[in-house]
Amino acid sequence: MKKYILLLFLSTSLTIYSQDYKFGKISKDELQEKYNPLDSSAEATYLYKYRKTYFEYREDDGFVLVTDIHDRIKIYNQEGFAFATNSVLTYKSGGAKEKMTGLKAYTYNLINNKIEDDKLKKDAIFETEVSKFRDEVKFTMPNIKVGSVIEYKYKIISPFYSNVDEFVFQHAIPIKKLEAVFSAPEYFSFKFNVKGYLEVNPVNSKVFDKIVFKNKTRAEHTSATPTKFSTSTIDYSNSVSKFNLTNIPALKEELYVNNINNYRSSVKYELSYTQFPNASVKYYSTSWEDVVKTIYKSDNFGRELEKTNYFKDDIDKLLANNSNPQVRIGLIYNYLKSKVKWNGYYSKYTNNGVRKAYIDQVGNVAEINLMLTSMLRYAGLNANPVLVSTRNNGVPLFPTREGYNYVISCVEIPDGVILLDATSKYSSPNVLPFRTLNWEGRIIRKSGSSALINLYPKNKSKNTVAMMVNLNENGDLDGSIRTVKTAHQAMSYRESYLETNKEQFLEILENKYDDIEVSDFVVKNGTDLSKPVMETYKFYLENQADIIADKMYISPMFFLTTTINPFKLKKRDFPVDFGYPTTNKYMINIKLPKGYVVETLPEAKSLALPDNLGEFKYIVANNGDVIQLTIDSTINEPIISSLYYDALKEYFKQFIEKENEQIVLKKA
Amino acid sequence: MNYKHIVSMVIMFATLNVMSQSEPYAVSEIPQELKKNANAVVRSYDVTVDLSSTNKMVVKTKRVITVLNKQGNRNINASERYDNNSKIRDIRAIVYDKFGKEIKKIRKNDFKDVSDVDVQTLYSDSREKYLDYTPITYPYTIEFTSETVSGTTAFLPWYLPLNSYFLSVEKSSYTLKYEPSLKIRIKEKNTESINLNKEESSGLIYYASKNINAIKPEAHSEAFVNIIPKILFASNEFYYEGVPAKAENWDELGKWVYEYLLKDVNDLPASTIFKVKNLVKNETDDIAKARKIYQFVQDKTRYISVQVGVGGWKPFKASDVDRLGYGDCKGLTNYTMALLKTVGIEANYALVYSGNYQQSFDEDFALMQGNHVILNLPIKNQEDIWLECTSQIAPFGHLGDFTDDRNVLVVSSNGGEIKRTKKYNIEENKQVINGECNIDSNGSINVEATIVSKGMKYDDRYYLDKFSKRDLEKHYKDRWNYINNISIDKTEFFNDKESISLSEDIVFQANNFAIISGENMLLNVNVLNKRTYIPDRYRNRKLSLKIIRGFKEIDNIKINLPSGYKLESLPAEVITETKFGSYKQTIEKNGENSLLYKREFVLKDGKHPKEEYSNFRNFWRDVVRKDNLKVSLIKKQ
Repeated sequence: MKKYILLLFLSTSLTIYSQDYKFGKISKDELQEKYNPLDSSAEATYLYKYRKTYFEYREDDGFVLVTDIHDRIKIYNQEGFAFATNSVLTYKSGGAKEKMTGLKAYTYNLINNKIEDDKLKKDAIFETEVSKFRDEVKFTMPNIKVGSVIEYKYKIISPFYSNVDEFVFQHAIPIKKLEAVFSAPEYFSFKFNVKGYLEVNPVNSKVFDKIVFKNKTRAEHTSATPTKFSTSTIDYSNSVSKFNLTNIPALKEELYVNNINNYRSSVKYELSYTQFPNASVKYYSTSWEDVVKTIYKSDNFGRELEKTNYFKDDIDKLLANNSNPQVRIGLIYNYLKSKVKWNGYYSKYTNNGVRKAYIDQVGNVAEINLMLTSMLRYAGLNANPVLVSTRNNGVPLFPTREGYNYVISCVEIPDGVILLDATSKYSSPNVLPFRTLNWEGRIIRKSGSSALINLYPKNKSKNTVAMMVNLNENGDLDGSIRTVKTAHQAMSYRESYLETNKEQFLEILENKYDDIEVSDFVVKNGTDLSKPVMETYKFYLENQADIIADKMYISPMFFLTTTINPFKLKKRDFPVDFGYPTTNKYMINIKLPKGYVVETLPEAKSLALPDNLGEFKYIVANNGDVIQLTIDSTINEPIISSLYYDALKEYFKQFIEKENEQIVLKKA
Repeated sequence: MNYKHIVSMVIMFATLNVMSQSEPYAVSEIPQELKKNANAVVRSYDVTVDLSSTNKMVVKTKRVITVLNKQGNRNINASERYDNNSKIRDIRAIVYDKFGKEIKKIRKNDFKDVSDVDVQTLYSDSREKYLDYTPITYPYTIEFTSETVSGTTAFLPWYLPLNSYFLSVEKSSYTLKYEPSLKIRIKEKNTESINLNKEESSGLIYYASKNINAIKPEAHSEAFVNIIPKILFASNEFYYEGVPAKAENWDELGKWVYEYLLKDVNDLPASTIFKVKNLVKNETDDIAKARKIYQFVQDKTRYISVQVGVGGWKPFKASDVDRLGYGDCKGLTNYTMALLKTVGIEANYALVYSGNYQQSFDEDFALMQGNHVILNLPIKNQEDIWLECTSQIAPFGHLGDFTDDRNVLVVSSNGGEIKRTKKYNIEENKQVINGECNIDSNGSINVEATIVSKGMKYDDRYYLDKFSKRDLEKHYKDRWNYINNISIDKTEFFNDKESISLSEDIVFQANNFAIISGENMLLNVNVLNKRTYIPDRYRNRKLSLKIIRGFKEIDNIKINLPSGYKLESLPAEVITETKFGSYKQTIEKNGENSLLYKREFVLKDGKHPKEEYSNFRNFWRDVVRKDNLKVSLIKKQ
């Protein structure tokens, strides 16, 4: 963090010329700039990014939320042209909708040392209804050239004042100057939350304001008296926060990042309560406890959890005489998975309700997993819902109702905790779908209290491969292979094996290993999720040795050798997220061709990542005409901090090299 | 069989059902053969097009499809588009379980209504209603019924007896009822493989087919659109957005396109005309003038997709593109054409099917079609020049795999004409690598190379000089993914747009490239151009072999061996010659501690029967094996 602050100071002093950020006051300097001096790779840069969000009182509507936007963007090259097209999404619900007004936009170009502007006209502004809840306004700027500066401003008026959009401070291109203002009347109390690597400190102040009401009064019974107009005034204060940032670096996507938005600098204002004059306090949310309470109290959550009538008879029949808790969990979980199918929608709230979902046999995430929870409770188990933020929703760093977008179920038994998600066909107890593996969830107990619960699996997903091969003297192989997979690796195997046509699956397998010919292919426990999935087959593969003169060179893992290091980039800012811990074990027996003996055998080797994050073991032995190879590689943590990136990269490099080491055989 | 007959048949069939109590949609009724390779089975698909006048078309669709598994969901196609010129009168669906028992009814309002805009498109005024159904269990059956009405009759629906891979069709029919005074033209394509039933009488055309088995995609085959049976229809008189038109051949259709879509959109402001005339005033040659104007357009405009109206066939005005500085393919092509005209160069608007697969217009059947527009520049006594006007970086006259070698409709004020776009020959698609590679005693390599790419090889990578350092690093690490631990020291590009050639200068190193075991060092001599791809193997190849484009690769690499090692033995020269191409590899001694590696690989484009596929695959296997050639070095004593 210190580094960043230093960098900010350093860079502030670099901006030499003073700028006018008033709308339309574009300077020649801005138009002449050839590249961003702080990031020459930037295709475009926000020269100025302004947002002010505040409340306005309107006699007909009461308080509405108003947001003013003003952006000035410099385009350095053709790749930056994409920033000349903008999209503004507005929300609508019921009869209420957000409105975008007052769009003004210009493109500026320097032509013969003269600034020329082109106004955005109506024919380049397009409105579209995206869905029941979203409208979209898109516009694209005229006369864009390399070097253009574009500028636009507009206003969004929203009746949904309890939902203030996140102030996002970091984008795909750098920002030279950013100003943001949030102002709320004293009747609204907001909580302020920061996220990301940037140092963001608002300057707070109080500003006084007043509302003028016009009143109409007419004296009763005296028709001769004209209507009287009077005004009354209410004074109130606004609390105002101002952000002023300069030279914000671009945020670039990296590979194997869980969700880049987790690292994007932003500020979120969350309404915690409102208190209007002469009215009682209305709470929204302030802490995780409050968030949980709000969610739990919602008709589409807590109440749904209490309903049992709709499944009672079926579950009674299902459980019959079984009293073993583990058996009961299994029966209910499997019953529900086969009975109600997921419609693909994420939600922590039910949509049509559990009862309807049960009858229709289709439901969203909440309908299925709340139903699961109440069935488990009905069966006398200590089951509770767990709120989850999926990987694409990001990590909920501060308490908001939107922080969680998904719900699963948890049963606490004396032996420990069992997490369940009945939306996925191949998920099993404590093997949750990949989308849900995202830090911690929040369990809500019957009392309404809540606690954090780790979603990453503790048990390693194992992949155990046993291969027996006969190497022929022309370098061809025939052999057999048995692979046993557990937990998440079994889940993804099942997804691909059971959801594809068998012939196609075999063709994919054969073509994956280039030229292998597969026979006697058998999969065991494909649908029995309680057991590891086991795949066995025989194979024939040509040209697996380099034969030079009287020597043969082989790579002892043959087609199973890892050849490509996934970590290629020099530097990495974000953690490496594997999702779950893994163990891969290979036991390989190679029978040598007649007349050949081992000339050189690689040495045994073990590698370890720091802090017990992972290890690799390689043992090879020669016994007569047989070579035995055992490789064990383990990653113990689902997520590895970027601090270990260099170590991780080196670890991968070394174990890949080891796997690629050759055994030399020689004609005896 | 006339139409009435069919109707009575249907009625009879329906009554039979009631009587026998058998459920017609039951999965058990599907013939076994149709389930093979199928994710879904179309049970019946009946389209009736009612063209009772030239200005109104009513299309009724009834489609019953049984979805066998998850992948089959994408074949449901229960959707209809609409816009200002057309509307959906009726749309509904019924879901049946595998026994053919009804389980759910879906009404018009339960269909999702969305804007029909893809990510690249800024705006489109067409919308779509589609069915978003979550199956409870497989298999299941959906009966989809719709009725749409449109005021544009320029595009009569086609009869496609089979329209997807992994899909089989039990039966389908197409009925066109039309005002008998209209003249309807019909074009049947690829119908040899199916059993087609055709009936024609005054004002009625009827087609039907039965039991078409599913096909699955296979690598190196002709594109799906080019192999499936299809029957195209066109009316010689039609309405386009409220305006009547007539066309019965390409010439007349071209005339109509010119008169109706192009004639009134070529206006330009005087200032631009002046600018352009001034720009080319010193040029005497038309090609040189056109080259300058093309560059002018590339500098001034950018591509933005905006689709308005049925199919969006009319270009923006040239003056609008001039003012806004952007347009879609039609707008930009029309703009370039208008600019060229101001300096006396006649260029023609050309409708085309874009895409890697070369989909052609039929020479003998005039029909409004295509999904892209390019510019045709006829040059006296020379091959035509073609211009892609949506790219800011493509060289003048370069089409690439997007629009090469296919029939297109060229439109001029004189009418329409089918022409073929440029074909890229083997010798044109050339890549030459010259380089030097130093190996040290740890097996690390240090490489300096120049790669010159032309034709389609140029097309593959001419945008590289626009890449950021980070993206370049990624590109090379992917391109040479068989070399681990690459560290790039230098890249430099020379993009010669005049001769359409890209030269990449690259310097890099990689640790542990050569493998040391004991006294030996094992070195893969083909460092810079190693093929690792082998075409997929099919247990039972069904489709014929198609090699869309050929190429030639020449490599000359000097390899300097580490001083402490010497070569054990020199591999023999390899020459392979097949009908698919040729391969030649030689390694020569070049002084005491140096080798010369030479390789020449030619792939020929062409079509071959399916039986040849395994030979083609063997040719590639052979190339991969030879590219993997290793030499053994041994420590000097």
